[in-house]
Amino acid sequence: MDYILTTNELTKTYGKYNAANEVSIHVERGGIYGLIGRNGAGKTTLMKMIGGLSRPTRGSFEIHGRNGETTKQMMPKVGILIEAPGLYPNMTAMQNLTTKAIALGINDKKYLKGLLEEVGLSNTGKKKAKQFSLGMKQRLGIAMALVNKPELLILDEPINGLDPQGIAEMRSILHHLCYDKGITILISSHILDELAKVATQYGIIHEGRLLEEETKEELFSKCCERLELKTNDISRTLEVLNMMGFSKMEVKDDSINIYERLNEGGAITIALAKENIQTNEIAVKTDALEDYYFQLTGGNKNV
Amino acid sequence: MFNLIKMNLYRMRHAVSTWVIAIVTIVFAFMQFGSLKLLLDDPFHMFDAGEGAEMLGFSTVGGEHIITTLLHNSNILIIAAVFVVLFANAEHKSGFDKNLIGITNHKWKHALARWISAVIGMTCILAIGFVVLFGLCALFMNSFSFGSAAAMLKSAGFLYLGMVTFSAIFFFFTTLFKSSAGGIVASLVISLGILNLIEQLLDLAVNKIFSHPAYVPSDFFFDNAYMTFDASGAGMKAGLVFVAICLVYLALSVGGSMLLQQKRDVR
Repeated sequence: MDYILTTNELTKTYGKYNAANEVSIHVERGGIYGLIGRNGAGKTTLMKMIGGLSRPTRGSFEIHGRNGETTKQMMPKVGILIEAPGLYPNMTAMQNLTTKAIALGINDKKYLKGLLEEVGLSNTGKKKAKQFSLGMKQRLGIAMALVNKPELLILDEPINGLDPQGIAEMRSILHHLCYDKGITILISSHILDELAKVATQYGIIHEGRLLEEETKEELFSKCCERLELKTNDISRTLEVLNMMGFSKMEVKDDSINIYERLNEGGAITIALAKENIQTNEIAVKTDALEDYYFQLTGGNKNV
Repeated sequence: MFNLIKMNLYRMRHAVSTWVIAIVTIVFAFMQFGSLKLLLDDPFHMFDAGEGAEMLGFSTVGGEHIITTLLHNSNILIIAAVFVVLFANAEHKSGFDKNLIGITNHKWKHALARWISAVIGMTCILAIGFVVLFGLCALFMNSFSFGSAAAMLKSAGFLYLGMVTFSAIFFFFTTLFKSSAGGIVASLVISLGILNLIEQLLDLAVNKIFSHPAYVPSDFFFDNAYMTFDASGAGMKAGLVFVAICLVYLALSVGGSMLLQQKRDVR
């Protein structure tokens, strides 16, 4: 697997409190990695450590396969937007971008104008950043993160506080950056449904610990609708289901989860009865992403 | 490093506070001119002959006196303090440092570049003040003579080094407290001579305890050394002691700021 970023038991401790506790994530190149967790779960702490804003107490991370001191050489290929965008309120969008560009030795007005176009801020003219809406500020924050032409973009809660239109615009920007420009994105949010619409890989973090790390397919297979079947003979049931042409299924504990042709519960029961297999339970079940998250974290606080 | 300084100067140029402080400095220069004119030219005949000159310590205004008037003054020190503190804190306050610090190899460079830029800005503001005051005196004062260029450069050199050292101290406190309020309070305590009172008490205490009147600890405190330093009349030894004190405080303050920037997490 081609990982652009991996962390190895990354830990940040404040006094006795572990804000991030031995977190190991693996971000595949070219995708969007969604970090899910409620407020205070440790998402920002983790991102700050990866973004070079905070020193890990323990652990390490690799970017582009470089670790230790050599990681620093890769940091110019990382774009960061942590919490609220850092903007000079009395400057225009272009002036804010120019400020960062000067620091990085970039002297290309056309490129900066292009960045503003990409995030939909090309017509803001002399309007100062302090007069921008929250959505505009977030988009300018993303443009700022893109100035150094990053291969990895770290975005902490970029959709937080946005209205539905702002969220939709942000989603389309993220898709464009990832799929048209090939930038890998690490994004955090506590708005699960929104993250579900963009991310291709997920890390679920709770109380500083990474609980699960899954691909979109793995996660959705656990969350989507399924036919849950319980019988007195699992292996023979599987043979019957194979004969009936079912392929998308998995055995979990004492039941079989079937992810296709959910309306054929009756036919399955008859087929099993013909083979003298007793059906103990058959029902269509649905786990929303949110339900799954609550199940993992053991509560429904704050998400 | 050069790019970071360029960036800081760019944002300085676009900061409202820079222009407000430049205007305040010009107003201050006008006020200083007014007070010199009243005392030396005495247009309203308020003083006996020579009384104004006696109060000031000089009878004709030259470049050397303008430098001394401008730099050896707690008002200009306060203006410099406010400028340095506001400028140094803007990057933390706006959160702009988050855009850059993570992706650069050495965080300390940001502190050094910011301080150098603050000194450049402060120098420009002082230069504006000097040009205005010098121009006003040259044009409108009867008792103006350019004086000795060497004497002017000597005073300017010493006092400018002092101002640069003050800027480093103000910068350090702003970096330490991560807030303009903290930085300004610390700077005002120094500029207004409050620290000087504490130093006098320390002198008394040391003399009482050790019965050694020759040892005066406050001589080694930078603010006291600056305020009591006679830039135009100082001999070689006094000048060297002053330069040494400045350099020690400068190195400690800038070094401390760089260390804080390097070791601290960004909020």
